[in-house]
Formats: sequence, C-alpha cells, structure tokens
Amino acid sequence: MTAPPYDPMRDGNLQREFTEQWSDAAYGCFSSGHKFCREVCPVMQVTRNENHTPTAFHANVVAMEQGNLTIADVADDYVNCTQCGACELRCPNTLFTGDFYRNRTQTVKLVKAMRALAVDSGIEQPNWKRWVEATVDRKSEPVIEVPVEQEHVADWAHGLDLPIGGETILFVDCEAAFFRTSVARSTAQILKAAGIEFGLMREQWCCGGPAAEMGYVNHARSFAEHNVADWQAAGATRIITLDPHDYITFTEDYPAYFGEAYDIEIVHITELLAELVREGRITLSQPVERVVTYHDPCRLNKRKGIHESPREILRAIPGLVFKDVDHVTQWSYCSGAGAGFAIERPEIAAEISRRRVARAAELEVDTLVSACVWSERPLSRAGAEEGIEVMDLMELVAQAAGLDGHGIGDTSIPAVAAVAGADRNRGATNGAGTR
Amino acid sequence: MVGFKLSLQKPPEAKRINDDVIMRFDDVYEIAPEKMQIFPQQDLPAWDTLRIVASRWDHLDWMHAHWADSTLGAEEIEAGADAATETETEAR
Amino acid sequence: MSTAVALSDPVLDELRAILGDDHVLTGLSARYNRTRVPSPFPVHRWKDYVPDVVVLPRTAEQVSAVVKLANRYRIPVVPRAGGTGLADGAVPLRRGIIVDVKLMNQIHEIDLVDRTVTVGPGINMLKLNEELRKHGVIYPDDPASYPCSLVGGRIGTSGWSLLGSRYGHTRDLVISMQWVLPNGEIVHIGDGGGRKIRKSSTGYQLKHLFMGAQGTLGIVTQATLELVPRPEVEFAAFFAYPDYQAAWESTGALARSGLATLAGVVLFDEWKLRYLRRDDEAYIPQPDDVQAVVATAMYGTRDEVTPAARRLMRIGHETGGRYLGDEISQGDWASRHDRYATPLHGRLRDGQVVPMSWHCEDAALNYSVLPQVREEWHAIADRFIERHGIFDDWGMFAYTNGAYKPGGDYLVEIDIGIWEQKLNDENWAAWVQCKREITEVTLKYGGSITACHGSTREGDAEYVPAEMGGGFEVMKAIKLALDPNNVMNPGKNELDRSYQPVGSGEG
Repeated sequence: MTAPPYDPMRDGNLQREFTEQWSDAAYGCFSSGHKFCREVCPVMQVTRNENHTPTAFHANVVAMEQGNLTIADVADDYVNCTQCGACELRCPNTLFTGDFYRNRTQTVKLVKAMRALAVDSGIEQPNWKRWVEATVDRKSEPVIEVPVEQEHVADWAHGLDLPIGGETILFVDCEAAFFRTSVARSTAQILKAAGIEFGLMREQWCCGGPAAEMGYVNHARSFAEHNVADWQAAGATRIITLDPHDYITFTEDYPAYFGEAYDIEIVHITELLAELVREGRITLSQPVERVVTYHDPCRLNKRKGIHESPREILRAIPGLVFKDVDHVTQWSYCSGAGAGFAIERPEIAAEISRRRVARAAELEVDTLVSACVWSERPLSRAGAEEGIEVMDLMELVAQAAGLDGHGIGDTSIPAVAAVAGADRNRGATNGAGTR
Repeated sequence: MVGFKLSLQKPPEAKRINDDVIMRFDDVYEIAPEKMQIFPQQDLPAWDTLRIVASRWDHLDWMHAHWADSTLGAEEIEAGADAATETETEAR
Repeated sequence: MSTAVALSDPVLDELRAILGDDHVLTGLSARYNRTRVPSPFPVHRWKDYVPDVVVLPRTAEQVSAVVKLANRYRIPVVPRAGGTGLADGAVPLRRGIIVDVKLMNQIHEIDLVDRTVTVGPGINMLKLNEELRKHGVIYPDDPASYPCSLVGGRIGTSGWSLLGSRYGHTRDLVISMQWVLPNGEIVHIGDGGGRKIRKSSTGYQLKHLFMGAQGTLGIVTQATLELVPRPEVEFAAFFAYPDYQAAWESTGALARSGLATLAGVVLFDEWKLRYLRRDDEAYIPQPDDVQAVVATAMYGTRDEVTPAARRLMRIGHETGGRYLGDEISQGDWASRHDRYATPLHGRLRDGQVVPMSWHCEDAALNYSVLPQVREEWHAIADRFIERHGIFDDWGMFAYTNGAYKPGGDYLVEIDIGIWEQKLNDENWAAWVQCKREITEVTLKYGGSITACHGSTREGDAEYVPAEMGGGFEVMKAIKLALDPNNVMNPGKNELDRSYQPVGSGEG
C-alpha cells in the first residue's frame, strides 16, 4: 500500500514518460499564458499564489521536460486544488475552441496525473496517505468524526425495507451513508414515493473517486472493479447517484478503466427527480417556508453542465422564496471540499467555505441549499457562523413531499446514533433534524 | 433517458463542410481531423462537446449582462425606425 | 547560469522579518512560474531569467521596506501584478526580487458621492466590477485581458481599453495613486494633491509621468479609480466590406461621427478575415466577398444610444458596409472582453495545426497611414514565415486609440503566431529581427512603437531613444534622479543608459 521510496534513477524515467504524455497539453496552455483561469479558481481567490494556478500546473510540465524542475520541486503545488473544474471550463482553449479543435484544457486530469506521479515517485501527502490507508480495510471513506465499518454501510437504510440488488441500484456516497444520513434517507424515500424500484448493492465500497483524485490510481481501480462486479452480480443496468462526486467517478473514471465493456447507465438524482416532478409522478404539496439560495455543486455545474434540474426542482417546492445566483457566476464559487483539499489544507478550505456562505448571506436568505453532500459539511460549519442553515436539496424535497427524510433525530439507527453522538460531542448544530 | 451511457457518447459521423471544416453535431463546427496530425485531438465524449457549446453561449450572455442592463440590436432599431416613419406618414 | 538563489541568508532573513516566512518564496517552482508573461518567450533560455526570490507583500510599508533593502544591497526589484502583459515588463531580466502584489487585492473604499473606488493593485477589474454592480456603477477599464489582468499592471503599462473612445483608458480612469518610489518613500501621485481630484494644475503633472513606467520608477500600492453609471444598454454592430479600402474609409467615417456613446471602432483587415475564416472561435462561414470587417460598439442610456445607433447604422450602410446581423455582432462583441489568442489557431504553411504563442504588435499610428503600414507589415511577416517555418500571420486589427475623440489615431495590431516548442537561438534571433523591422515601419510613418503594451521587449526597446528623441534625455535624467542605484526593473526601456557617464559614446 505504501509507495516505494524515492529513487531518482527510476523516477527519472517515470518523469520522462509523464512529460512525454503531457507535453502537448502543457504547451497548449503555456503557449497562451492567458491566465483567464486565475480569478475563477477558488483556491487562487484566497491564496493569490501563482504556484496554485492552472498556468503554473501546465508550465511546470514544460519546465520538467526541459530538465529545470523535478517532481520533488512541484509536488506541493498540486495539492492546492479542489478539482472543481472552473479553470478548465473557463479557459478560452476550452470555452471558445475546445469543441472546434476537439481538444480542450484538461487541468483536472493533469492535477490527478501529477499527484499520481508524486505518489509513484515516493512523495506522499501525509493526510492523504492516512486517508487512503484507512479505506483499505474499511472499504469506505474515513468520513472523520464518525466510525466507518463495512458492515454498517447500509445502516442508514434501517426501517426503509430496501431490497438488495435489482435492475436499478442506488449508490450511496460514503458521506451520506455515514455522516449526513438524512440525504440518503430522503433520496430513498423520494424514489419510493415516485414509484421507482431500486435496491442497494450487496457490498458497496467507496466509489474510488477520492483515491484517484489524490493520486492513488491502482487503489481507486481496485475499488472500481469490486463495485462493477457487484453491479453485474446484482443484475443492475442502471445506477442512481445522489452525489455529484460519484456521478463524475462513474461517468469519467470508470469508462477510462473499463472501456467499451462498461455499458451501465448512470443517472444522477437531480436529473431523474426533475423528470419525475415534470411528469407528476411525485407531488410536492407541503409548503417549505424558507428563503433560500442554491449552491451549484462544482462537480455538477462546472464539470458536467448540470445546473437546470436542481433549479427546476427548487421552483416546484411550494412556500419557498428562491433567490437565485446564475450558474455562470457560480463558476467561481466552491465549498473547498473536493479532491482531498480540505484534508491537507483545512484552513484554506474553511476560508473558501466562509466566502461561499458570505455570498449567500449578502442575499439575506435563511437557507443555503446544496446538491452535494460533501459540500454540506464545510458549508454548515461556515453557515453556523452566519446564522444560515445549510440543507440538501433532497431533504427539502422530502419535506415538501411529506416524507420523513430526517434520520438525525431517530437514534435507533446505528449510523445515525454515531452521528448524533459526534454532533453532541462537537456541540455543533446540524441542518436536518433540528426543525 | 436522463442518464449517461458510454455507448451513446460517441460523436456522430462527420459531414464535410469545406476543406478545413466538418460538422458532427448540429451547428457545431469542427476542424477537419486531417489537420491535427502534429497536435493530437482528444477523445471528447458527446456530453463534453455539448457542455462546452452550451457553456460558451451562457458565458457570452453573462458577459453582456455584466456590462449593461440590456443589449440593443440593430434589427430592433431598424424595425422601430420603420414603424416611426410609417406613423409619421399616417399622421400627415 | 545556475538558478540557485544568489541572495545571501542574511538578506533572506531580513526579507522574512519584513514579510513573514510564508510570504517569502525561494522554491524553484515559485520562481520559475513568475518569470514569463504571455508574450513569446525563449523557452530554451528560461533559466536565464528566473528571479532569486518572490515576496508577497500585503501593505505599502512592506513594499517600502523591501525596496529600501534592495537599495542597500543593490538587488534588482521587479514588480509583478497579473503577469498578463504582452511586452515583458514583468520579466526579470537581471533576476532579483519579484514583488508580487496579488495579495493586495482589497477594495478599500467605495465613494458613491464623489464617484471613486479605492483598491489595491492586486485586484482584477472583472472581480471589482462584480462587487460594484450592486451599487449601479462600473469601472470601465476593458482590455482584452479584462478577466485576468490586475489594476497594478494596467497602471504599469498605461493600459488601453476597448471602450476608450467612450470612457477613456487606464490613465484617464485612475485618479490618483499611493506609490512607493525607488528609494522606498511612500508618496501620493496624482493630478495635484487631492486624492479624488481629476484635474489640477498644481505643480508638475506627476500622474502622467508615473503611468506606464513599467516598474522602473517604483510600485503602486493603492489606486483611486473613477466610477461611471452602469450602462443601460450595449449596442454592437459589425459590418462587412468587399475590400479593405472601403472598410478603411468606413472606419474613418464611423470614428469621426462625433457620437458620444461610441465606445470603439475596430477594423479587421483581409488577412484577419482569412484567419477568422479558417478557424474562428464561433466559426461563422462568410462568403468570399467579405474581405474586411468593421466592428463598432456603443454604451449609455437607452435614450441616447437608440438614436445614435440609428445614425451609426446609416453611416455604416452609406459607406459600403453590409450589416452582419445581430447574432454575429453581439456574439463576437461579447467575446472581445477576453480575447487573448488561442494557441491552436496556429497553422504551418501546409495547414497543419500546431500550438503557437502569440505576438501582439501594438503600434499607435495615424489613420492616414493604415493602408500602407498594413502592406509593409504583411510583407515583412511573409518573408520571415517563408524562411523560418515556425511563424504564422494572423492578420491585423486597427482600433480607435484616442480617448473620447476617436478617429485620429489607431492601435494597430499585427498578430504573429510562433511555434514555441521549436524555438532555438537562431530562430529567436530571426524573430527579434522581424520585430525590429515591424518597429522601423512604425517609426517611418510617424507612429509610436507601442500604444499600450510597453516598449520593454527586445525588438522594441532598442528604438525607444530614437522614438523619444530629446525626450529620452529627459527620461534618463528622471530615472537617474529617482533611482540612483538602478534597482527598479533594471535593463528595461534602455534606461541603463541613464547611468553611463556623459560623453561615454552611447546615450
């Protein structure tokens, strides 16, 4: 599991292979040097350190190719990225001509690849290393603050009578399975109320996305292989994701691992739910009296272009006053939670969250609604300072549909009990379940 | 279907527009691939091309709104001018 | 040449004492990534220019202390705001200390009564305007680098704005500055002494002297900027012409129209149309009888823009222009606010795509000579392309240049692509020679080497004394008086000559 010690001879080759593979992409950026990416980057907005720009990420490759820099000189730079995708979308080489040339800026892929080169060269970030090691036995993300055990991965579903297996599987992100279980419970109950038949995996492991984001490619792949085998054994033809991180992993990482053999349908919950609302298959009749604004999750909005379905759903909830901020302005917003950034750079991540919540506060809302369970923990912490509650879209929909989506209150559920205990110890308020 | 399926991400067949340009998706021009032999093209799935095109229009709209409360078009002005002339003629 | 830090430990310790450990960067990647700017760069000689250390100040006092230290130890200081300039102003020719001002990006004050906003030099105009929007005002400084350039660099270069015919350029929009002189003193620089006074006749007009000094006369640490009402409407109209001559005449007529809401007129020549025709961002196929294009834009209240736009359309039609329609006009205009060149528009002679770095020539020339300059510049470019296959001619633009009163002079741009991956000493030298020939044409026709980027690059800088004539002696005297130790961005603009003893030949 631990990477071998740094060997300059061997790693000279690794580095050469890397720069050969990335040289064209690096010059695609280096030749322009525009830096239109810089001001949309959530990390740059806080640190103002040019080392953390996509420009530097690409220029480093050129410098490495020329023998001026080595992986040891630059590894640290690439820690400073949430892989939100704002930069590579905003880059004119993508936005204006990526479709014309069928060649776009791929900063996220570069950051992942450079992190992998660092790991393979024996340069590991201490907290990421611990994080990934923790998933070896537990099969799910550490989640922190809450114990994670494989046998408890479906405890959140206690009392919901969900089958195992079937044509449609609901994949429940680790953070929702163990921490913010109300998101999982809300989603499951909404799907049932709309008449969607689905089951859970026999043995759900972490999607492997975070490990890949941190540079632990083989580890990520082994998780992917397990999950896909489980889906096949379950007879699944469709996977529903409730978190954008999983949606990205299943629609980008898994195709890269498995190629054409990978032909399962991946549906994100907001797209499905918007369709169900449109078709009247779920009725949202209970007013939810809140003044809200919506946080476009980076991995839905910037990375996948999904920004309409969550808004359609919000507009269908009665009683809500919805003060929107358009999805292009939100290219420069982020919670700071992605790609392990909050684990290695917690102060910067907290500042990014603080700024996101401050934007919401300017609108005089009482609630910030997100559609990404990973964003909700840091945003909730920042929200507590501003008196703004952070809710997940599914929690609001469950309320509007008159469903009991809240899990936090019911301490007979083991996963929930652990969370409630952790909450009490922290003395923090948590969104769902306090109303 | 609102989901993602890998088999549906292959871009459509190319239609030749001229020596330099082809078209796969409606109204989305692309460079003729034979011009990219030195600098390679990428394997962009359909969703990615469509995301880029939609984002570009969204960005341009955003830029208009950033600079001014509304955009005036010449077609609108000239229509207005014609209407004004007609009214004057009638008034006389 | 080694990239080991040439500064001694005591110097680094002093810097850390001034700025804090976290804000003194000696790592290789910190220094490599603050060496170049977007203009074509001799990549094969990157290590020759890598600075010794990078500092990230937060206050004017820190900047002052760094500059004083630099004087004590005779270390070059190179200020760096966005690093998005196109004339190497921020490239450290002699290494030294990079003073990276990006952390000084606060909005210090918004005064809606006296119509100013006061900011740090590290703030970007787009981000500033996002904040100003809720107050119904805007800071209308709009270069092609609008989403990424920073106020400090706009001042360092005396920037040009796409909306200059209406709102003026950076020097018209910056009211006054807090400035760290080359000796470390912190002073007010403006028109006279009032921080929010736009026009004064007290003393010397210092603001104009320091504007565009490219870091050679010190560092701006705060700027008080003009606010204008957010425009009610934006109007853009693009016209097509069957030949350049008609387009040029139409440009003249439009620019001379006297319409106060006119923000700018842009003339695209035939080479630019051929370039757009092969690979423009929106790829809009145009018939062969479209040989040149003129773009126009207007901003203001609906009441004033609507009749002005009607007149503009009439002038365009009467001078032979065919309107290209709302979709092209509006779409292309909206893309002009972030319009640095795309590398993949580079083509070899056989039509193959290669990523090219972008040289953007920015001479200022009078209306009357635009057609001749166009012919001579393209002929020069053609020769170099034939001989060294790594260059590409992306055509020319001419933009109205004079603030508020467009028509007399133009920012004239020829865009040359350079396949950076293939640069070596020989073709780099050829490139510099090409640049020199372009500059010589500019001076021959009574123009100015640079409307807005700066004259600090090889290929331009050698001609600064020739262009300035006797004014160069004044420049040298000022440089010597203000920066006796030559610490501020040394080597730029031929200002080393300020330090040569009188009668020593050159200078």
